[in-house]
Amino acid sequence: MASKLATVLTKRKNNMFAITHKKIFLTIATAVMAVSILLVATLGLNLGIDFTGGSLTEVAYETAPEKVEVEEALAALELGGISVRESIDDVDREAYLIRTRDLTEPERESVQGVVVALGEGGEVTRFTSIGPVIGQELRDKAGWAIFGVVSIIVIYVAFAFSGIGKPVSSWAYGGITILVLIHDVIVPTALMSVLGYLFGVEVDVLFVMALLAVLGYSVNDTIVVFDRVRENLVNNRTEHKKEIQEAGIVKEEVTYTLNKPYDEIVGSAVQETLARSINTSITTLVTLAALFFLGGSVTQTFALILFAGVLAGTYSSICIASPLVVTYANYKARKEVET
Amino acid sequence: MSDSEQVTAEQTQSIVRWFRGLLLVGVLTWLAMTVYQNATDPDSANPFKLGLDLAGGSHLVYVADTSGVEPTEVDELMNVLRDVIERRVNIFGVSEPIVQVESSSAVSETATERLVVELPGVTDVGEAVAEIGRTPLLEFKLYSEELAEQQAAIASLSSLSESEDSSSSTISIDNVTINGESVSDEEYPFEDTGLTGRYLETAMLEFAGQQSGRVAGEPLVSVRFTPEGSKLFAQITRDNVGEQLGIFLDGDLLSAPVINEPIVGGTAIISGSFTPETARELAQNLSFGALPLPIELQSTQTVGASLGEEVLQSGVKAGVFGLSLVLLFMVAWYRLPGLVAGVALLSYITIMLALFQLIPVTLTAAGLAGFVLSLGMAVDANVLVFERMKEEYRSGLSSREAAFSGFKRAWSAIRDGNITSLLSAIILFWFGTSMVKGFALVFGIGIIVSMFSALVITRTLLLMLPDVKERQGTLMAKLIGCGIKTGDSSNKAKK
Repeated sequence: MASKLATVLTKRKNNMFAITHKKIFLTIATAVMAVSILLVATLGLNLGIDFTGGSLTEVAYETAPEKVEVEEALAALELGGISVRESIDDVDREAYLIRTRDLTEPERESVQGVVVALGEGGEVTRFTSIGPVIGQELRDKAGWAIFGVVSIIVIYVAFAFSGIGKPVSSWAYGGITILVLIHDVIVPTALMSVLGYLFGVEVDVLFVMALLAVLGYSVNDTIVVFDRVRENLVNNRTEHKKEIQEAGIVKEEVTYTLNKPYDEIVGSAVQETLARSINTSITTLVTLAALFFLGGSVTQTFALILFAGVLAGTYSSICIASPLVVTYANYKARKEVET
Repeated sequence: MSDSEQVTAEQTQSIVRWFRGLLLVGVLTWLAMTVYQNATDPDSANPFKLGLDLAGGSHLVYVADTSGVEPTEVDELMNVLRDVIERRVNIFGVSEPIVQVESSSAVSETATERLVVELPGVTDVGEAVAEIGRTPLLEFKLYSEELAEQQAAIASLSSLSESEDSSSSTISIDNVTINGESVSDEEYPFEDTGLTGRYLETAMLEFAGQQSGRVAGEPLVSVRFTPEGSKLFAQITRDNVGEQLGIFLDGDLLSAPVINEPIVGGTAIISGSFTPETARELAQNLSFGALPLPIELQSTQTVGASLGEEVLQSGVKAGVFGLSLVLLFMVAWYRLPGLVAGVALLSYITIMLALFQLIPVTLTAAGLAGFVLSLGMAVDANVLVFERMKEEYRSGLSSREAAFSGFKRAWSAIRDGNITSLLSAIILFWFGTSMVKGFALVFGIGIIVSMFSALVITRTLLLMLPDVKERQGTLMAKLIGCGIKTGDSSNKAKK
């Protein structure tokens, strides 16, 4: 299917579809981002105990009791707010996920004693209890980690493309990379909101890792396209050397003019990297699909979130990053004319 | 240069290329076999290290209360704490427990010191928590000739060669064994005196003065007993002048000083070949009832062993399927170069697994998922090169020239992409908690290895292939030319 898509896209006479249709692509991107932000804002994120502190007990049964029974039995222990969620453990037994505030050792024992006795063959298969301090710290760390990664990426991109010069400065490429990253992170986050709303899926450390992996993937994807832009710019420019005399010192000033319009150069860069963008996303998506269907319950959400992130990342590197660069260049050119 | 010379030069070159390729394949095959052997052999020195979520077990996090101590001493006290807990965990009989100190990094306002205890295979947290939280046992025991002889006799019966050693092994006076081998106290020829850590008030590090008859400046540990303990201690020392008094912590012999004279003042000096550090550690162990800092359980995590096994198996299954799909795709799309990329991908897996065993990297469910994901991303450098190669090949270059040029021109993209990823991995490793650190490590190693596999392995193997041109139209030329053709009529041929 993807190869068909590539065929359709490349068959066009116009070899720079991403640029000529930039309005459509950017509108789609803006709409997707708006919807995503709206979803996250309204539905919120279901923070798991990794971040809030609390405890999570997975209890599996041969014959499971009714959910109400579990809830009633736990309510009798007076532990405050309790949520019980139906689940299936990794060996396909019926199970419940019980979330409470973080438990002390005697409390843990009483909870486990109560729930195990409720159904036939009851067994606690997983228990996690996290103090509120650790939760808070993890939240801070996750925030800092994402912030750190994003900043280092901008700086590196700006540095690596510093020779690119006209008509757009290397910082613009760095800045656009960030915009693209925000898009790629907000889409899987919105998916997480929806999953949390519909199925009670909770945000855990794995989700943060998935987002960070998306960051890595997406930046790589965008850099490949920008790298081609850089190369094409160098190949399609004419060098003008001019000697100028300044305070008695003879300086050689080198200026460049482009032999082709900037948008054409960017457009062909997207075109030339299209096959690699699509192929790498196919191989990545394929492994993620394997992980989703076969990889066990622990990493299922991880795979799904990454799947969304990689799709977003592929779209953004083709249909957002380069159109934005061109839009920015046009905007700058217009401004220069005005002044 | 004559024609014939040129032919031989070319032949030599091609032989060299083949030799390099075969050597590489040979080394990788050997590595794969080693990895396999390490993974299957139960006694192997470098097996895969599975995290608790895969092997089953308990993960406990204690927070240490450092409010009462000088900030400068915190690090040292935490290390003492770790040693103490490690000793207790060892008594618990867990295979390969991990006890480590984790300081909250610079990002949080308050510095908290934590102790992370991992107990593989222990799924009964209650038992583990009780064992770790238990009051430590400090005992004073007297050396007994009788017991020593009995033990020597038993030892000589069981093994002749060993008997010589143990019969002469009066515990050396000046020897301090801290955190010694986990020998149970039955093997020490010492008798209980009833004097335990309950009667201890404080212990301090001191240095010998001039007149004490010792080497001036020698580090010593001075012990002060409670009034009740003083009485008991006075009695013991009165009755046993010249005997050795063994000091035991959790069943391990810490030191065995000789009683020189009756001690009635309620203080005792423990001398031995201490360094200031070991003396200080002993003093701390003794005076804090062996726990230098109060600790509190902050988080627990338990995963059943059968569940862990299930998670591991499904992770591996996902990996195998993911790998097969990627291989299929690469071969279908890039044909012969795709096959080469497949070999490079297999090499990537082999090298990664070997590193997992050697470093060793603890594999968790998340790490495994990250690794499976990396299988899809690791071919990226290959894809970049092949796409460039394809362009060059189409433009009329021979396949080998195209390969050279492909590598050269794809390099800047590979470099920039991988450096940003590597920087991200470093930052993650820096900020992350232990779980994120593991992920970052796998991620970081993965980037370096995937670059190696693309730039060295793929390159070497690709150059082994015969040099052809597209317009030759031979089978080999078709096999090397890859994928759909962009933007021209040849699309019709493929549907």
